[in-house]
Amino acid sequence: MATTPVTLDELDPLIHVPARLRIVATLAALSDGDALSFTRLQEMIELTPGNLITHLRKLEDAGYVSTVKTGNGPASRTSVALTHRGRAALEAYTETLRGLLGGLDTARPRTSTPQAAPRPLPT
Amino acid sequence: MNGTRDIYEAETADDEGEFDPLEAATLLDQTRARAQRRLDMRSPWLSLLGAAVVLVAFGALWLSVRGQHPYTGPTAAGLLVMYGILVGWIVVVTKTHRRATAGLSGRSIRQQRAYGAAVVAALVCVSVFQGVLKHDGVSNAIVYGIYPPTAQLIVLGTLGAAIAAGREDWPGFGVGIAIGLVAAGSAFAGPIGVWLSDGVGCCVAVLGYSAAQAWLRHR
Repeated sequence: MATTPVTLDELDPLIHVPARLRIVATLAALSDGDALSFTRLQEMIELTPGNLITHLRKLEDAGYVSTVKTGNGPASRTSVALTHRGRAALEAYTETLRGLLGGLDTARPRTSTPQAAPRPLPT
Repeated sequence: MNGTRDIYEAETADDEGEFDPLEAATLLDQTRARAQRRLDMRSPWLSLLGAAVVLVAFGALWLSVRGQHPYTGPTAAGLLVMYGILVGWIVVVTKTHRRATAGLSGRSIRQQRAYGAAVVAALVCVSVFQGVLKHDGVSNAIVYGIYPPTAQLIVLGTLGAAIAAGREDWPGFGVGIAIGLVAAGSAFAGPIGVWLSDGVGCCVAVLGYSAAQAWLRHR
């Protein structure tokens, strides 16, 4: 039985952007029920605060991340977490990528160059 | 910049440009691995240091009781070395933990606090029971020899194994069980030999854990 080939259009456009992919992948490394402060997230993915806010807003509008602000004034703190929907979207995105790259030999060793074949994607 | 920056470092000011799936897969892989490393306080180097701490601390106690007839227990100098090393170790672990969990909140932080409280409670219970043994006139060879390292390591090992199993940290589970077994077996070595046997046995177990961590990170 022939299977329908996966196309680029099937990649979630909200995640298929380097900055947002980094945000979602970083938040996915947290355990379920955990959140990361805005400051730590910014430090980990090395984006400017303005850039990060813009991307987070898009992800929040789609229901992929949730933000909670606690406290007031200088002591206020914003925490960011990946929602179940966001986690599912990243899993679907990963599956689509795997389908797109299926023809490649994913067992090849990873090199330090950006164009190297990726390791098998995490499940 | 040396012109070989990896894809993770490649900043995209305008995010709507071309993004190759191969690049995306590499970026996803790198970001996930990097995030997991930075959020995880466990490291092969920390475990290696832990193995050295165990060996030196138990070694100091063994040297302080070696040749005692009758057995009276570790000397003040031996205990000073052991507690000094232990305090230094706690400072290093605390700093590493704070760095890894900075900005993190939620379920895993609450769980870690509960685990910490359970470990402290278990160690307090072990110490109280040691007092009971002394009160009931049990010999120094048991109260200050066989009992303290055996009971504490069995409690710490098995509790650690249970916590690791909850996180599906199988190397951690393995080292916890190994420490419990080493502690139980070392009791046969008597009040003097128990310190050396525990020190060497636990050091080997933690070295194995360190090697397993290093292998898992670089496979």
